[in-house]
Amino acid sequence: MTSYSRDRISAIHHELHRHLPSEPALRVKALETILIEKGLIDSQSIDAWIEAFSEDIGPKRGAQVVARAWVDPQYKARLIADAPAAIDELGYLGYATCHLKVVENTDRLHNLVVCTLCSCYPISILGVAPNWYKTAAYRSRAVRDPRGVLAEFGAIIDDQIEVRVWDSTAELRYMVLPQRPAGTAGWTEAKLAGLVTRNSMIGTHRDLTPKTAA
Amino acid sequence: MDGMHDLGGKERFGPIDVNEREVPFHSPWEGRVWAIVMLTRLRGGSLDWWRHVRELIEPTDYLTRRYFDQWLQTQTAALIDAGVLTLDEVVSGKAASSPNVRPPLMQRRDVVAQFASMATSFSREINSPPVFQPGDSVRARLMSAPGHTRLPAYVRGHVGVIHAHHGAHIFPDASATGEERAEHLYSVAFKASALWPEASKRTDQIFLDLWESYLEQA
Repeated sequence: MTSYSRDRISAIHHELHRHLPSEPALRVKALETILIEKGLIDSQSIDAWIEAFSEDIGPKRGAQVVARAWVDPQYKARLIADAPAAIDELGYLGYATCHLKVVENTDRLHNLVVCTLCSCYPISILGVAPNWYKTAAYRSRAVRDPRGVLAEFGAIIDDQIEVRVWDSTAELRYMVLPQRPAGTAGWTEAKLAGLVTRNSMIGTHRDLTPKTAA
Repeated sequence: MDGMHDLGGKERFGPIDVNEREVPFHSPWEGRVWAIVMLTRLRGGSLDWWRHVRELIEPTDYLTRRYFDQWLQTQTAALIDAGVLTLDEVVSGKAASSPNVRPPLMQRRDVVAQFASMATSFSREINSPPVFQPGDSVRARLMSAPGHTRLPAYVRGHVGVIHAHHGAHIFPDASATGEERAEHLYSVAFKASALWPEASKRTDQIFLDLWESYLEQA
């Protein structure tokens, strides 16, 4: 039974810090071995989770949602009004997206998503969050110096554009709907999805203009 | 809790590794931590308790260990606390007992299906009407109670505007102690110029999702 005692947890953290090797790979191996010996998990299922998040559940899902919204104004309206239902149409509703909100970039607005307190992220449509998203650097700076952070990613935001930062402090999750770039008229949904970067859906990438646009 | 995890607005961290490789896991062990935590997540208490266990990592470890190492530390501590493992087992690397049970074996497609089924609603019906309406000015309370909270330090004492009401959601401060109750939840917009002296000329805004008891009429 969980104790819900913070003092007990602090004591356990302290003991783990004192007694375990500093190399994380060794500690993972030891934990995995014990849990397998206890019959709680098995190696095959561990491999399955890793494969699913390397192959199936990742930012390609979000890119398909964005491309659909670009070509289908009615889908876009549903996505803005009720994002969980709209991503469920594509089979992408899942863990951490039951209260998804989609925030739209415009000529006058740029959106940026962060979780300053931990690492909240819309995993079922964007996959495992990038490591930088979970670092102290991004979490501390995104709310205080969003334009500096964006510049570091190569996105210079004009002074006339308002930046909106969404700090994911509850179970709502945020995804940015980037602007469809010029020069893509007549493109298929699949081709458009190829333009959508993971970072554009977090908000650290703004201009998706294709490099070879004619 | 005034912990190391409450990072919003803290200065001198950086730069960001903008050229990081776009892969879910940067070492094989990171993927294994992810999988182990997902496979054993229900044995370690509520989600908010789990977040609090992570917040209680020693501050120097919190700042210096890689993200999935923090997950490893959190899940190990939560499993020991829940009695699933013992400290001796973790330190020795050997299970004290080996019951003759077999966990269900999962394939990749089972994981995809299970992850889809994990869409959990945190909304709850409550009897009390919301105190605030969109457009209302509110002040974030100056709270610094020792337990888990989702009211970050950088907005405490500052005035914002209710942007949206989301009905009532499970209240994390209580959920982290094993008690489930709900409160009205709002998105609150704060002007960057009100929070940060260096943003005095900006029209930028920061939005946070805050529960009713974090707020008072301004």
